[in-house]
Amino acid sequence: MPPRAAFLIAAMLVACSPPALAQSAGPAKWQNDLAPIGPADWNYDFAAHLLERAGFGGTPEEIQALAKLTPAQAIARLVRFEGIDTSQLPPFEHSGIHDAGLEPFPPTRPAVTDLAKEKGEALGIKVKPAGNRRLQPIVDEFFYWLRASVLETNRVSYWWANRMLTSPRPLQEKMALFWHGHFASNEAKVRDYRKLLGQLELFQQKGTGNFRDLTVAVAQDPAMLSFLDAGVNVKGASNENFAREIMEIFTMGVGHYTETDIREAARAFTGWNYVDLKFVVNKDQHDDGEKTFLGHTGRLDGVDVIDIIMQQPATADYIAGKIYRYFVRQDLSPELQKQLGAVLRDGHYEIAPLLERIFLSRDFYSPASVGTQIKSPVQLAVSTYKKLGQKNIPGVPDFNLSTSALGQQLFSPPTVAGWAGGQSWITPGLLLERGNLARDILFPDISFLPPDRYTGGGEVRRVAERIRQGMDISTATKDDAKVGDVAESNKNADRDEEFNTRYGSFRGSQLAIQRVKPIPRDTAQINLSKMVLDAKLQNTTQVVDHLIHRFMRVPPDDGARQKMIAFLNKDLGTADIAVAQTYMEDSLRLVLHLIMSQPEYQLD
Amino acid sequence: MKTRFSFSNATRRDLLRAGMYGVGVTAGALPLPLFAQAGAALGAQGKIDGKILVVLELSGGNDGLNTLVPYGDDAYYKHRPHIGIPKKEVRPIDEHFGFSGGMAGFERLYKDGKLAVVHGCGYENPSFSHFTSMAYWHTAAPNSGEEYGWVGRLADSLAPSAPPNFLVNIAARQSLAVRSRKHVPVVFDDPNKFTQEKFYEEKEILDTAPAPKTVENPSRKFLLETAQSAKDASVLVREAWAKYRSPVDYGITGLDLPKVAALIAAGMPTRLYYTSYRNNAFDTHVYQNDTHKRLLTYASDAVNAFLTDLQRIGRADDVVVMIFSEFGRRVPENVNLGTDHGAANLMFVAGKGVKGGQYGAIPSLTKLDPGGNLIHTTDFRRVYATMIQGWLGLHETRELLNGDFQPFELFRS
Repeated sequence: MPPRAAFLIAAMLVACSPPALAQSAGPAKWQNDLAPIGPADWNYDFAAHLLERAGFGGTPEEIQALAKLTPAQAIARLVRFEGIDTSQLPPFEHSGIHDAGLEPFPPTRPAVTDLAKEKGEALGIKVKPAGNRRLQPIVDEFFYWLRASVLETNRVSYWWANRMLTSPRPLQEKMALFWHGHFASNEAKVRDYRKLLGQLELFQQKGTGNFRDLTVAVAQDPAMLSFLDAGVNVKGASNENFAREIMEIFTMGVGHYTETDIREAARAFTGWNYVDLKFVVNKDQHDDGEKTFLGHTGRLDGVDVIDIIMQQPATADYIAGKIYRYFVRQDLSPELQKQLGAVLRDGHYEIAPLLERIFLSRDFYSPASVGTQIKSPVQLAVSTYKKLGQKNIPGVPDFNLSTSALGQQLFSPPTVAGWAGGQSWITPGLLLERGNLARDILFPDISFLPPDRYTGGGEVRRVAERIRQGMDISTATKDDAKVGDVAESNKNADRDEEFNTRYGSFRGSQLAIQRVKPIPRDTAQINLSKMVLDAKLQNTTQVVDHLIHRFMRVPPDDGARQKMIAFLNKDLGTADIAVAQTYMEDSLRLVLHLIMSQPEYQLD
Repeated sequence: MKTRFSFSNATRRDLLRAGMYGVGVTAGALPLPLFAQAGAALGAQGKIDGKILVVLELSGGNDGLNTLVPYGDDAYYKHRPHIGIPKKEVRPIDEHFGFSGGMAGFERLYKDGKLAVVHGCGYENPSFSHFTSMAYWHTAAPNSGEEYGWVGRLADSLAPSAPPNFLVNIAARQSLAVRSRKHVPVVFDDPNKFTQEKFYEEKEILDTAPAPKTVENPSRKFLLETAQSAKDASVLVREAWAKYRSPVDYGITGLDLPKVAALIAAGMPTRLYYTSYRNNAFDTHVYQNDTHKRLLTYASDAVNAFLTDLQRIGRADDVVVMIFSEFGRRVPENVNLGTDHGAANLMFVAGKGVKGGQYGAIPSLTKLDPGGNLIHTTDFRRVYATMIQGWLGLHETRELLNGDFQPFELFRS
C-alpha cells in the first residue's frame, strides 16, 4: 500500500474512533486463556499491540501492513524471521583500537604496575630502563584501553539501537535485548567491547532458537566467562560465582538446588576459560572426578550440568515465566506459568514456538495484558523514534546518555540479574526525566558537547590547561581544589611514584578520543506539519486525537485531552489548521511534548 | 507550598495522639532543632521534629574481615594466607582489631567515639544469593516473601498520614527497602535532573499533576501516583541542591551523602533516607585487595565527611548513619585472591549521638559453619530495633521486624 493510502486509512480510523480513543482489547475473560485468537478478532489495535510488544512499535503504515494479514500470518512474520533479508543492515564498523599485548587485561591498575615491575613489561609495553616515571607509558596504556573500550561500546550500542529501529526483523533485536538482560554482562567488568559485541551477536543469532543450546553457548562465551570470573575456577579450589548464577539467575531460580549442588556444579565447570576471544578448556585445571549434581552422579562436565538443569521442571517454568513477563505482563498466575513451562518443555526448549503461542493467545490481547506494560527506557526511546518515522537513531540527544539517565544503558545492566523491569523503571525522578527525553528529541540541545569528543570533566580540563602551560606533571595533576582535610582517596591519587595516576588517566582519555571513531551528531528529522497535512486533519481536535492515536497505546483521560486541545488553540491562535498550516510546526511539537509527558505515554 | 516543608499541624497532632511520635524520649531530650538558617533559605515556616536516620547499603557483600581486620587472631591469617591484611597495614583500634589501611575516616570516627561497630550480624539459615539475602535485609523478614520494605513500613508507622517527602531514596531505581503501603518514596538520582524541563507556555499543564482518579489499569494507577510524588518533591530537591555548597572533602566519590546533606541543610521534612554504594560493588570474588581497599576508602571518606558536613550545617545531633551489607564473605580466601559469598558480617552506626565502641559478640574464626562461614551472634534486626527504638523513639517494633529484638544501648542519652 502506498504510504499516502495508509495515512488515509489511519486518518479514517481516527475519524471513526470515539473521542477518548478507547483501547481496543479483547474481553476480560480472555485473561489466562492460551487458546488462539481467530482472524475475526484481528484488527488494527491488536496489530499495534503486537508490534509494540514483539518489536519496538511502528508507524501507522507498518501497523496497517500487519493488520491486513491474519493473526497467525502476522505473528509468523515476526517470529519466523529467518527468511527476511537484512543485508541492508550494515555490520558494526570497528575503530581498530585494540592493541596487541592488551590481553590478558589485568584486573586493576596496581596489578598492571606490579606486573610491569616484576616482568619488565606489561600490556605489550616495556618499562623504561632509566629516567623519570619509568612505568608511565604502561599506566597511560591501561587507562587508554579502559576509556577506549567504553567509548567503542557506546558505538556498539548505537549500532544495536539502529538495528532495533530499522531491522525488518524487530523481534530478533527485541529478543536479543531480553537475553542481554537475562544473561547480563556489563562493560565495567568485562572491559572489552569486542567480547560484548560477540555476546550480542550470539543473542541475535540464537535468541529465538533453542534455550539449551543458547545456555551452553553463553556459558562458553568469553564475555560471560570474564563477567562471572569463571576463568579462575580451577580444580581443587573452585569458584562458585559462575555455577551459582547459572542456576539462580539463568535457568532455575532459587529454591531448586542446594549449596552442595552449587559446589558440585562449580567443580564441573573448572578449567573453563577464555583466551582473548576464544573459549578454551584447560584440561589440567578441570576436575574430572565424580560429582553428584541434582541427584545425578558421574564425571560430569559443564555441558552435563546444563543438560541436567534442562531436565528440571523448574527450568522450563522459570524461563517461560520470565519470557512471558518481558513480553506480556508482570503478574503471572502459577497455573499459567506451569502451562507455559509445559509448552517450552514439550517443545524441547525451542523458543520460537513458545513465542508464537504467547502472541497468538487470547491472554495476550486481554485487558490485563494490553496497555499495562511500562516501557523500558530503550523501548521508550526506540519506539518514539519509530513513531516519529526516523530512519536512524539521532546523535543528539545521545542515545546512551538518555537511556542511562532513565535507568537503562545497553551493556551496563546494574547487576548479574539484569534490569528488574516493570514498576522499577519508574521513580518520581525518572518519570520527569522521561518527559525531558521527549523534549530533547523534539527540541534538540544544540549546545550539547558529545562526551566521546570533549571531556568536559573539571579535572581533565584543569590538567590539560596546566600541561599546555608547560607545568611538570606532578604540579599539573595536583588536586589543589580541596581545602581543609584531604580525603584519603585524594591523597592516594596525588601520590607520585614511578608513574602518575592522574596523568595516566588524562593521557589515556586523550588517546582514546584520538582513536575511537566519532558518533555522528545529527538530530531527529521531524516534520509534524507534514504529518498533519498528509492526514488531512482540519482542526486542532483532530490533530490532538491523531497524535494521541499515533503515539499512545493508552490515551490520557478526556480532561487532559481537552487541555491539550485548548493549549493548541491558544498557541496557534486558531482551531483551523488551514489557517495555521504555515506556522504550526513549533506548536505541534509542544503539544507532542505534552503528550509524551503524560504518565500514560510510558505504557504500551 | 509552605506547608510542604513540615507536617501540617493536624498531622503532628494525630501522630502525638497515636502515641507514635517521640515515645520514650523525655520531653527535655526531644530535639527541637532550630532551622533559622536552612529554613530561611527555602522560606520554610515550621520546624521539623524528630531524628533522622540515614541507611547506607554496601551492595555486593562487603568483606567484613578485611574491613575491620582481626589482626590479633592467628586464625585470620591461617584462613587468609594471601589476602589477609598484614598487621603493619591496618589502622588498629585495639589489641585485636584494626581498620583496613585506607579507612582513615572510620579510624577517626571510632577514636572520636562516634562510630559503633556491631559484630556478627546475620540471621538463621543464611542465603548466599545477593538478591535473596538483600531482600531479607530490605524487608527485615528472612526466609519470607514480605512485599514491603522495613524502611517503608517504618515510615508507615512513624507517619501514617503519609505526608509528602517523609521518605527519600537516592538511587537509580527504588529499593525494596523503602517500598511502603502508604508513602510514595521520593526517589531520584541526580538532583539537577529532578525536574521537568518545560517551556513557559507549557507550565500551566505540566505543573499540575493529573487529577487522582480511579483507574483499573494497575500500571497506570502507579504512574499517576508517582507523578504526584514527583510534583511534591522535585522543586524542593532541586533548590536544595542548587543552594548547597560544602567545603568538606567527600573524597573521590561521596556516594550520595552530599545529596542527603543538601536536603538536610535545606530543611526537608524527611526523616528516613536510604542510599547505597551501588551495583554490587563489594562483590569481590577475584584479586580483591586493591579493589576492596579502594571501595572502603571511598566509603570511609564519604561517611566521615558527611558527619563533618552535618556539624557544619548544625544538624550533627540529629542524624545517624546505619551501614550494612547483605552478607559477609567466606572466611577462607579462594584461589583467586578473593572471597566468595558468606554469612555473618559487621554493621556500623555513625553519628555524633552514637556511643562509639563495639557491640555484639565477636564471632569465632575457628568454629565456622560447615561452609566455612562466620556464625552470626546478633540478629541484624536487633540493630534495626536499636535504630527504631533508641534513635527514632518508636517502641513497638515487633510487627515491623517480625519478632522481638532487644535494642543495644548504643546512643548517648
